[in-house]
Formats: sequence, C-alpha cells, structure tokens
Amino acid sequence: MKTIKITLLLLGFVMLTASGTFAQKKITGLQIMENVYNRPTGNDMTAELTMTLINSSGQKRVRKIQQYIRDFGKVEKKIMFFVSPADVKNTSFMNWSYDDPNKDDDQWIYLPALKKIKRISSDNKSDYFMGSDFTYDDLGDRKPSADNHKLLREEKVNGVDCYVVESTPKDPDYMYSKTITWVIKGKWIGLKKEFYDEDGELFKILNVKNYENIKGYWIITHVEMNNIQKNHKTIMELSNVKINTGIPSSKFTQRMMMRGL
Amino acid sequence: MKKLILILVFALFAFQPIAAQNLDFSGYVRNYTGMLFGNGNNNFSIQQNTLNLNLEKRFSNSAFKFNPMVYHYYSDSLTFRLREAYIDLYFSNFDVRIGKQQIIWGKADGVFITDIVSPKNMEEFLLPEFDEIRRGVEGAKFDYYIGNNTLELVWLPIFTPNLYPNSNSIWAPKQNIPMGAKRNFSLMHVNPSFDNSEVFGKFSAYTGAIDFEIMGAYMWDDDPTLFKYVHFATPTGANYLEIKPEYKRLTVAGGSFSTTLGPFVLRGEGAYYWGKYFSTNNPLVNHGEIQKDYVNYMLGVDYSLYDVKLSAQFIQRAIIDYDKAIVPTPFFKEQYNNMMTFLARYSNQSQTLTLEFFSYYDFEYKDALMRPRILYDFSDAINLQFGANIFTGTEGPFGQFNKNDMVYTKIIYSF
Repeated sequence: MKTIKITLLLLGFVMLTASGTFAQKKITGLQIMENVYNRPTGNDMTAELTMTLINSSGQKRVRKIQQYIRDFGKVEKKIMFFVSPADVKNTSFMNWSYDDPNKDDDQWIYLPALKKIKRISSDNKSDYFMGSDFTYDDLGDRKPSADNHKLLREEKVNGVDCYVVESTPKDPDYMYSKTITWVIKGKWIGLKKEFYDEDGELFKILNVKNYENIKGYWIITHVEMNNIQKNHKTIMELSNVKINTGIPSSKFTQRMMMRGL
Repeated sequence: MKKLILILVFALFAFQPIAAQNLDFSGYVRNYTGMLFGNGNNNFSIQQNTLNLNLEKRFSNSAFKFNPMVYHYYSDSLTFRLREAYIDLYFSNFDVRIGKQQIIWGKADGVFITDIVSPKNMEEFLLPEFDEIRRGVEGAKFDYYIGNNTLELVWLPIFTPNLYPNSNSIWAPKQNIPMGAKRNFSLMHVNPSFDNSEVFGKFSAYTGAIDFEIMGAYMWDDDPTLFKYVHFATPTGANYLEIKPEYKRLTVAGGSFSTTLGPFVLRGEGAYYWGKYFSTNNPLVNHGEIQKDYVNYMLGVDYSLYDVKLSAQFIQRAIIDYDKAIVPTPFFKEQYNNMMTFLARYSNQSQTLTLEFFSYYDFEYKDALMRPRILYDFSDAINLQFGANIFTGTEGPFGQFNKNDMVYTKIIYSF
C-alpha cells in the first residue's frame, strides 16, 4: 500500500527502522526507491503546511494550508483546507489515491465563491501543485515502476550516508529526462534530488532542510525546491504535525469540503 | 440612505464584542469601472465600488454567517444587499441551515439547468461573477449524509423571483409587448404562506467512478408569465391590451453527473420542466399563454492542454409538443434551441497571471458573448483585472445587447 508520503504536502519520508537488513546485502536502485515510496508510516497525519513561493525578484507569496491524511488500506485520502491568502480562503481540495496502480486518483476541489464541488482530472501528474515548483509527481505520487533505477554510488551528504540513485523514465516524453536522488541509508528519506529537463540540463534541485522524529516516525518538516532555470523557489514547511490521532473517516467527505475548518 | 449607514455602523459596533471571540472577518473591496465602446459614445456603463463583508463564526456544533454587500455607484447611490445570513446546526448525520442562503446545484458552468433553487439577479445580465448573479433565498436546508451520499431537502416559504433591471437600463431584456399595452402588476406577487412554499429535493453521490445528482422541485417559475387581457371598446374608452404578469408554478425533475476519462472530465446535466408558460401570438386564447413541457440539458468536457484549461459545453432547450404559435423569445426561438459555451484559461506557473477567454454562442440567433479577461495578482491581497464583454449578432440572448460592448477594469482587495 502506498502510504502517507511526501505527497502534496511534503511529507512523510518516514524511517524504516529495521534497516540493518539492507546493510548486509547489495541493494539495487529499484529496491531503494521502493523503500522510499513504500516506507511504513502512521495511519493518519494532521499538519499545517506553509508554502512560500519566491520568484526571481525575491517576491514572496505565502499559502497556508491545513491538511489531513489517512490511510484506509486500499485507498489513502487527503483533504486540504486553504487558510490564506484571503482570496483562496475556504477553498478545499480532496484526493483519494488508490493502491491499484491501474486506477487514477479521484480529486475534487471546492470553490467557496461558486459553492460547488468540482471533480478534476488527476491524469496529468506533471501539473504544478498550487503554483509551486513541485509537480504532483515530485510530491510523491510517482510510482517507482514508472522509472528505471540505477544505483550510481554511495556517498556522504552533510555527513549523512546516502545512496545515490539515477532514475530514468520509461516514458520518453516525460517532463524529466532523469532524476538523481540522494537517499539516506536506512531512513529511506530522499535528502536531495536533482531533476534534469528533456535536454538533459539541470532543471530543479530539491533539498530537505529538516526532518523530525514524531511518535517514532521521521517526518520532513522543511523542504525547498529550486527551479534553477527560472530562478524560482518553493519552500514547504510543516508545523503542528500530529500522527495517529484517529482522524474520523467522515473528515474525508464532500460534506467537510464544503463546511471547511 | 442615512438609515442604511446607521444600520451598518450599528452592526459594526454590535459585532465588536463578538469579534473579540474570534469572529472571522473576510471579504473584499472592489472598484469596477466599465466603459461602453459598442455604441459610439464611450459612456461609462458602470462605476461601482463594492464592499463584500463575510462575518462568520464556527462552533463545534453550529455556525453562522452574515454576508452583507454594499454597492456604491458613480451617481453616489448606495445599494445594500444581504447576500446570505444563516445559522448552521450540525448533527452527527445531518446538518440544518436556516436563513437567507445561496444554494447551488448541478455540474454545468454558466448555465442554469438544475441550478434553480437560487434565482438570478440579471440587473447586469450575466456579467457579474456567478456568486453575485445568484440571489439568496430564505428558508431551511436539511442535509442528511449516508457515507459520501447526501440527501438534501430545501423548503422555501418565501418566494424570491429573478430580478431584472428597469426598462431604461442598458441591460433591460427585450420583451414582446405590443406598443400601447397597459401593465397591471396587481397579480405579480406570491404571498408568503405554507401553501405557496417551494420545495426542492436532491440526492447526490460522490463515488470513485462518478459523481451524480438526482433532483426534483415543486417551485415557482422565477420569471413571471405575461398574461394578456384584451379590453374591448366601451362607450367611455377604446380597445386596449392589458398585461398582467403573474408567477406560476413549475415542476422540475432532473439530474447531473461528472466523471473522468483519462485526462478528460465529462459532465452532463439535464432537467424536465412541466407546465412552463409560453407566450403565443393570439391574446384571445388562454390570455396569450399556453403551457408546454420542455427539456434543458448540457453535455460538457474539460481538458488541460499543457498549461491551458479548456472547457466546452453544449446546451439544448427543446419544447415538447411544440406549437408554432409560440412567440420567439431570446432563449426560445424555435422548438430546439442550441447553445455552446467555451472556456480557455491559462495561468503562469506561479499563478500570478491568468489569461481567460469565456464565450457563449447561440446557434439559433447566431449571436455570441465573448469575454476575454486578464487577471494579475499584484500581491496576495490585490488582484487586478482587465477585460472586455463583446456581444455579436443583432438579436437573441446576447445579440439584443450588441450596443453594450464594453471594456472594464476591476481592482479587488481581499482581506
């Protein structure tokens, strides 16, 4: 089951505690990326997400979002409520992500001015999330089976032992020609990631700036994505993170989308 | 007007103690200036300043909202509208909302098929934002939840009709009323009573595969029927025609759906209307009005092409058992009346700049409304808009306003 992960809201890169297993064996690039994708997490998470967009002139736009995520077994449900700025306040977004690799996510958005819930297509994972530098794939929705993975080397980043994995898409028309990910050994956190465009030029760099142990889970609480070519940056920060609080299933309904926080 | 200002001042002071308890203030201030360019005189069609104030408070099992809007016009007149003022009560499996509220149904954009609970304010035709076009209705809404399904019942004891501009407005719709006819508005009123209530019901479901709604309504037609009375010459007067507008009952059943097919979102909506009155060219028979059923439906598709969101809708209105004596109107020229809408919207990656083009095209009158617009977020709080409304054709729902082509700017400060 794909569980709570970095998705839209950055997150969940959680530690796989039983890491010793891999230390003794030659691990493949695919295994590493599957460990990142499938790392076990808590059943649910509540958090406040602050997303800061910084353009080439240094101008900042800040979006605050309250989010809830819960794993229901075969489906993971997320609901997000936009808190600020004022023009998007009370907008909500819900995503149901299925275990079945052949089934697309279901997504809805509620626009308070229209008082209407609209179903939207989740087909294009290359779309940018809310004006940020993260695509939906970047946020964790991309399945490891979509790429070919090769373990390039092992090296330290800021004193942390990492695997370095190159991933090339099976779809030649995909927006990235390849990505290179530095994965923390044993924790299966993508500490750094480079994205290369269709011409093979460096396009974006993702850096995890902070992660915290919350209830025994490693949660990324600060990540930055730099678009090198456009000189644009997005910072995502999580605060008030709560794990396994027993979010009721009724939270993930259209009723709550319309009611808001 | 002084009274209105006093009321607002009083309301602000009255709310001060509540504000201390985290009353949620939000809304916007907007300047909207529009200039005509289709009639050769470049008159300002609108110079409007608006305050939209949302006062909301949420408790664990209840909430309330008070949403006044104040419009200031260049003539220094003030118009006050209470868009919504309601109380919510939350229970485990159902919610109740009581008061003045906007209720929006259906899956169509920009057309009203099953979205018939809240009537429309057409004082500026279809040009305002859609939340401003809809009028609040006074009544109670009951929502019962079964998983992701909802049964919604709406009871409106007070009838609220569509609102149209004065006959001297540039947005006054053309009516087929003979010259010299006298108007008598004595019957154009629906007394608030239990018998005169409107009732609406809807079942909606959101599933992994499809969203759908099934609805029904026993309501008043939001537009009055223009009954015609011929008064023959008497020793004291000549023949004359008297028009007596009267609201009549309408029964409606319909539904809508929305689903995805790969990158496409497919939408549909339809309704059957029983007993709609249509004007005929013979005022001596049934006072110039006959009842016919009609069908109104929409099929639409949404698609994203790179960064451009595209949406198209086909809409058809068909009169059942059509009678050739029916007088054509802008929305019913013939038995079958076809229309399309088209939307293209591009936003840059940081979503600060949006380019939008929305249009209606009517196949019967071959008229259209085209609405290009540029939206720019000057900051998180300030949005600037520059747009145009271009009417083509000479008659029909859009062609009737062919002298009202306009450009406009909007500056919106959200708080």
